[in-house]
Amino acid sequence: MTGQSYLAWAKDPEIRKRGGSGGFVTAALIAGLKEGIIDEVLLVRRIDQFESVPYLTHDPEEVKSASSPQLAAPLNLSSYIPRGVKVAVTTKPCDARAIIERAKRGRFELEDVYMVGLNCGGTMPPVSTVESVRNLFGVDPDTVTGIEIEGGELIFKRDRGEDLTISIDEAEKKGYGRRESCKYCNTNIPEMADLACGNWGVPSDQRATFVEILSAKGEELFEAAKKTSMIEFEDATQEELEKRLKIDRRMRELANRRWDEVAGVLDERDRLAYYINEFSRCIHCESCKIVCPVCVCEADAKCLDMGQGNNHYRISLYNMIRLFHLMDSCIGCGQCEDVCPVDIPLTMIHQRFERRMEEMIGYRPGFDLQKPPLQKPEEGMK
Amino acid sequence: MNEGWQPKILAFCCNWCSYAGADLAGVERRQMPPTTRIIRVMCSGTVDPAWVLEAFLEGVDGVLITGCHPGECHYLNANYYTFRRYRFLDAFVKELGLEPARLRLEWISATEGVKFAEVVRDMTDKIRALGPSPLRPEEGVR
Repeated sequence: MTGQSYLAWAKDPEIRKRGGSGGFVTAALIAGLKEGIIDEVLLVRRIDQFESVPYLTHDPEEVKSASSPQLAAPLNLSSYIPRGVKVAVTTKPCDARAIIERAKRGRFELEDVYMVGLNCGGTMPPVSTVESVRNLFGVDPDTVTGIEIEGGELIFKRDRGEDLTISIDEAEKKGYGRRESCKYCNTNIPEMADLACGNWGVPSDQRATFVEILSAKGEELFEAAKKTSMIEFEDATQEELEKRLKIDRRMRELANRRWDEVAGVLDERDRLAYYINEFSRCIHCESCKIVCPVCVCEADAKCLDMGQGNNHYRISLYNMIRLFHLMDSCIGCGQCEDVCPVDIPLTMIHQRFERRMEEMIGYRPGFDLQKPPLQKPEEGMK
Repeated sequence: MNEGWQPKILAFCCNWCSYAGADLAGVERRQMPPTTRIIRVMCSGTVDPAWVLEAFLEGVDGVLITGCHPGECHYLNANYYTFRRYRFLDAFVKELGLEPARLRLEWISATEGVKFAEVVRDMTDKIRALGPSPLRPEEGVR
């Protein structure tokens, strides 16, 4: 039932072992394919322990072999969703929010997309993670077989030799660890998806997935997994529910503290000078627009159209229009910052504008199917 | 800032109300400083926020958007959209660090020549006190 929470795990011991936590997600995806609820599955497939790529498949065997740690998936899947087919997607909160924003803008029907949400405490950029193994521990990165974050510790698993452990705080102080935008992201449980899965709340001696059913579509997948007897499950206890919410609360507090550190400092500063200085580095490669999951204007975009050939401006019109345009849609996924070749802290800047809009209108993008507020008339006007 | 400096204000005026209001201000010989450059638009709801941003980047010191009073829009409710966009622009300007007085929205009807002159005088005074826009390009306004 919608709103119900379970502890669930895959019956197949191999899936259960390979999955991040109990293998429920893999099992539910395979069940969905077998029952014909979905035609395709979009997920991230592991290349190696540090990196994954988006992967679209309709073969249950491939789903089984693709399971990957989401820590290594710093990309947004919403841009890869095919049109006109029923597709299940594994979604971090930012994927789910991007999917909703794209659906609003007519890129696909939300009815066709089954969002299997994954709790997310952040993702790690592949390159700096490889470097961190070498630089923090003096160990060859190729010996690492898996990465985990647990109880505030970053753990690199190894087949031979001891696991390498460092506290996340320490790693991040040294410039490694999660992506910058993940550090201040305060949406950890994908409450806007159809299912929310993860290991938060699961007793540490049990290998299971905590599953919350959030919509009728989520229920459909869960029922399919039940029917094909791919999974076993039990109701989540009150204690487990509370433990999960407690972890979520703590993650949010840390994220908000981080936000104050990186963005709050701008409250007191001369922001105009700061923005002019940051954007003066922009070379207008348009990468940020290409990767932006909520930007759907493509080649006819106003920012490209109007933003060209005005080299005497203090901030280019391209950047100004993008800042304005994303005020009611930026979900803080961090893609723009990841690709920026001149390291402008784009996500932080876009988020500053977006969070100001949140305060003003009381709307958060990517949570529901409300029309974006900029496209609506002002209500209750005198 | 030199003594003779006069701000440049770009005004978007609705064809059905404030443009006529501005006209009336002239016919009635209301005194106002020659700081505004008026662009007549068919409705304040057609004013694209990108035009406002471009105006600032081109170096104007203030942007004034004028439209029909709420409930009196020639196109039923387009000025309600104007107001929503203005609120976004206002938040944008504040976040960017530009003085909020540089952007103004006023409802001025065709009979309110007095109000038009008053708004222009007041806005000019406020912007004169602020000085030239920090977004003005180095080589000045074209």
